[in-house]
Amino acid sequence: MYRITAKEELDVRDFFMEVEAPHVARAWKPGQFVVLMIHEKGERIPMSIYYADRETGRIGMFIRRHGKTTFDLWDNFDVGDSLYAVAGPLGTPIEVKHYGNVVFVSDAVCGQAENYATLKAMKEAGNYTISIQTFEDKAHSYPEKFLAKPVADEHYLTTEDGSRGIKGHYLDVLKELIEKDKVDIVFGGGKLGSLKKLAELTKEYGIPTIVTVRQIMVDGTGMCGSCRILYDGEIKFACRDGPMFDAHKVDWDDVIRRDSRFVREQEIAKKHYLESKGVV
Amino acid sequence: MARPKLIKERVPTPERPVEERIKSFVEVNLGYDFASAVKEAERCIQCPPEYAPCIKGCPVHINIPGFLKALRENADNPDEAVKNALRVIWNDNTLPAVTGRVCPQEEQCEAPCVMGKVGDPINIGKLERFVADYAREKGIDEELLGEFIAETDGKGKVAVVGAGPAGLTCALELAKMGYKVTIFEALHEAGGVLMYGIPEFRLPKDILKTELDKLEKLGVEVKTNYIVGKTVTVEELLQEYDAAFISTGAGTPKLLNIPGILLDRIYSANEFLTRVNLMKAYKFPEYDTPIAVGKKVIVIGAGNTAMDAARSALRLGAEVTIAYRRGREDMTARIEEIAHAEEEGVKFEFFLTPVEFIGDENGKVKAVKFMKMRPLEERDSRGKRKIEPTGEYVTLEADTVIIAIGLEPNKILVEASGFETNPDGTLVVDENLMTSIPGVFAGGDAIRGEATVILAMGDGKKAAKAIDEYIRSRRANA
Repeated sequence: MYRITAKEELDVRDFFMEVEAPHVARAWKPGQFVVLMIHEKGERIPMSIYYADRETGRIGMFIRRHGKTTFDLWDNFDVGDSLYAVAGPLGTPIEVKHYGNVVFVSDAVCGQAENYATLKAMKEAGNYTISIQTFEDKAHSYPEKFLAKPVADEHYLTTEDGSRGIKGHYLDVLKELIEKDKVDIVFGGGKLGSLKKLAELTKEYGIPTIVTVRQIMVDGTGMCGSCRILYDGEIKFACRDGPMFDAHKVDWDDVIRRDSRFVREQEIAKKHYLESKGVV
Repeated sequence: MARPKLIKERVPTPERPVEERIKSFVEVNLGYDFASAVKEAERCIQCPPEYAPCIKGCPVHINIPGFLKALRENADNPDEAVKNALRVIWNDNTLPAVTGRVCPQEEQCEAPCVMGKVGDPINIGKLERFVADYAREKGIDEELLGEFIAETDGKGKVAVVGAGPAGLTCALELAKMGYKVTIFEALHEAGGVLMYGIPEFRLPKDILKTELDKLEKLGVEVKTNYIVGKTVTVEELLQEYDAAFISTGAGTPKLLNIPGILLDRIYSANEFLTRVNLMKAYKFPEYDTPIAVGKKVIVIGAGNTAMDAARSALRLGAEVTIAYRRGREDMTARIEEIAHAEEEGVKFEFFLTPVEFIGDENGKVKAVKFMKMRPLEERDSRGKRKIEPTGEYVTLEADTVIIAIGLEPNKILVEASGFETNPDGTLVVDENLMTSIPGVFAGGDAIRGEATVILAMGDGKKAAKAIDEYIRSRRANA
């Protein structure tokens, strides 16, 4: 069992959780993820890593209250409780080396976690690091201490309605940075639709772009093929061959469509859960 | 003394009626009771063990005449009879409730049975299953386990990678010899394909779990959620353990490289069965993992996995058709599983090769286009009739497709560890099942590509012996 050691609200929808998983913490490298099961009847869900601390054996994660499992996790699991399974680290680590000016962008929970974790590693490898974190509005933005600000050389926070930080999306800020000629590579995460636009933007400027491709997974080890994507004309598994891929080679329309495969079932599960809690 | 009369016909085992079983995942075959088991065991003519063809036909060489003899010798004392029979089986196979259910007996122990020449071969599988089930229900296995617990003092430590049939067998055999064994399992539960692949109606999970309880009782430690190659490397394992056994199976599904493969509701059999069996999606939303299945399901393939997927889909309320590119005689599934699938209403279409998945406007599959095939007189190296395309096509409607055309070895471990591999991705091993890395042995589908549970178990057993010899000789020379 994997004990929860910290839990904190990030905004009205996302939360931070720290869990004891020494087997993961000792081996984790930037770009890798974990698979969680909250209890024996739970589903297996992939989760990005915010940090992995070898010394304490703990991993931090950003989690969105989105479906049944994550509502259940927020509502019913507190510090001192344990998760049923934490498997990992999974996926292929990204290549941490000197690229020059490295920009990290994100506009949703998994990207925000990686903005901290991978950016930190890139900075240690001697890169000049820039982080652009986008939130919908002030209520959906994270406290300062959970931003990549303390580790990045340059940090931009944007909200789509301008209620905090710069008004706009990371795509707008990135475009300005690119035009100032200071971007050697971009790492991105977050909403799939934005990643598609990101791919289009950086392709135009010929800037290498590596992004996290979120796909529905079961085992996370390449066994089930659920997370298959079309990549450079070939089938790749997001769990095993990714989750980070060259954004310019991903077939985004297919990825976006496959991401909504279980929407109907997700809604049934959520409704069932909320009814059982007497919420609906 | 008069020669005992040969009884040509098997004592049958009852099965749950079709109309009842297609509505649930409860086990189909109901098994023997003691009286009928003894009656069936009495049909055995007791070939001497050094000759018995059934023992030779069994990949783990269970002393079959021996356990049948034990069963009928104490016909007036069922508990004693079963205990003695179980002791004989456990000497060679510690998972009889599993093998009694999932082995292709008709190709192994039962195929060469002498009784088969004059009538039905002895129903060895069902008898093995009976012994295991009776022992479990009466707590006899619990009692007997004590006899198999060995002193583990300083003999050595072995790491087993993967808790499927090969790994479990290797671990249990080594534990019986007195080794300290740790199994590293990537999923949250041990069992491997027995857990995620084989449905409840063939191998109930609570029965499997009781078999797995033996691990702990024999001192085997199981570390779940450990992905060797990621969580820990083989190199690191060798620093702590005297030897390692790789039994990671053939974890990666083969997908069809044809248009439309990314459409929704096209599953690999692995995904479909893992959702249903391991994650209990058939109990959704009581269990959190869903499975989206429509009304018309096409399963592509004709092995046991295809039958399992088809029968599972049927139980989820769908109309199911199995499409196979060869003919009926070349289906690779067990006869019993094909028969069960047919009885339950699964339809079969032969000589059809899928060429395209056709989707609707929402990206969901709505039909499969097949090329019609024609059988030839010639046979291939596996004895299967060769086929050729006819140039004619047929399109079958389907709102869900399950691809069960086979597996290839999972690359995670191999890529991370630098093993020498064959062109098909399986690990290269020598005659003692040792890989290209000294002290690291391998077995099961990781070296075979794709085979049966019992062949994997046979490898596990053989590797356990080789590992024992390896560790001893290393210690003697140290």
